Amino acid sequence: MSRFASASDAELVRGCRGGDQEAWNELVERYSRYVYAIAVRGFRLTEEDAEDIFQDVFTRIYTRLDSLRDDSALRPWIAQLTRRRCLDAIAARRDVPTDELADEGSTDLSDVEEAFEVREALTALSGNCQDILDRFFARDQSYKTIAAELEIPSGTIASRIARCLGRLRERLEGRNDASEGSRE
Amino acid sequence: MTTDDYLELPLGDLLDRLSANGLAPGGGSAAALTVAFAARLVAMVARCSPAWGDAAGVIAQANAIGDRAVELAHTDGRVWDEALTALRDAEAAESDDPRKGFALEQKLEAAAAAPLEIASLGADTAQLAALAGDVGEPTYRADAAAAAALAAGGASAAAHLVRVNLGVRSADPRLVRALASETAAHDVAARLRESHR
Repeated sequence: MSRFASASDAELVRGCRGGDQEAWNELVERYSRYVYAIAVRGFRLTEEDAEDIFQDVFTRIYTRLDSLRDDSALRPWIAQLTRRRCLDAIAARRDVPTDELADEGSTDLSDVEEAFEVREALTALSGNCQDILDRFFARDQSYKTIAAELEIPSGTIASRIARCLGRLRERLEGRNDASEGSRE
Repeated sequence: MTTDDYLELPLGDLLDRLSANGLAPGGGSAAALTVAFAARLVAMVARCSPAWGDAAGVIAQANAIGDRAVELAHTDGRVWDEALTALRDAEAAESDDPRKGFALEQKLEAAAAAPLEIASLGADTAQLAALAGDVGEPTYRADAAAAAALAAGGASAAAHLVRVNLGVRSADPRLVRALASETAAHDVAARLRESHR
């Protein structure tokens, strides 16, 4: 596991500025799905366009990291870079100025944002919780299949999932409380 | 009727469509929707249990199961339509072409896959209903028991369709799985009925 796997975004940014390759790898790993999701789900771009935007956004992050004023604001900065690049791509295709597309993708972006927050909170849960939630909600496995594969009693699966969801909620609420507090 | 989305139909229209002399929705879709009703009932019991710390987690699971069941209602309707068309074509052709026989067999296999999943969802719903009945607000225990009974009914209907669609022998693993789901759902429903009397 990377030394930066549990590092905060600010620590990651400092590592990247110091030329630490492991920090850069972790930043790409942490935000690659995010950038891709904004392009594909938020702006409905093709996979080919999303790939171009992905390359371009990470090149910009690499070359402009020094211009980031607040190290802990990495995510909104990446979101802004990606959004701007997506709008440029759409404007070029439609042959209109980027400014005319200001509201494009704004609703779906909040979904992407929420999904990313859930994914981040998930990684903070125990491996067992991550596994059981992934099996039930992402892989659509039945209680019986989960019980058989994890070798635990079938009758306990629903309550285990409920407890793990409770922990996930605590993580998310804690995160939201913290961000509310930081705005004050 | 033009819409193929059952959730977009008023309940009366859906029931009319179910009883119409046509194709889908049929027994598989009705079984899936019964499981969906049961799952939403479990969500209601959990929502009415404010003292239950895990209630939100149960609601999330019940909603996920309910959504999957509705999806399966559509899938079942679609594949059953295709199987029925293939069956009618085969009867009309009156030929012994083995390729047509194989194609029909494939369609019927596909038509059995959805009920197999519906039976499994029925078992899961019954189990979730048991948790809600045991730990949720006592006032709503009867609703939890009703949910388990509905889920068991859906599982039974679906298991029956697996048997008929496949025309399988009793040792076929798919039928074994469907019957195990049916039994599990019925055991839970019976226990809830007894313990909440």
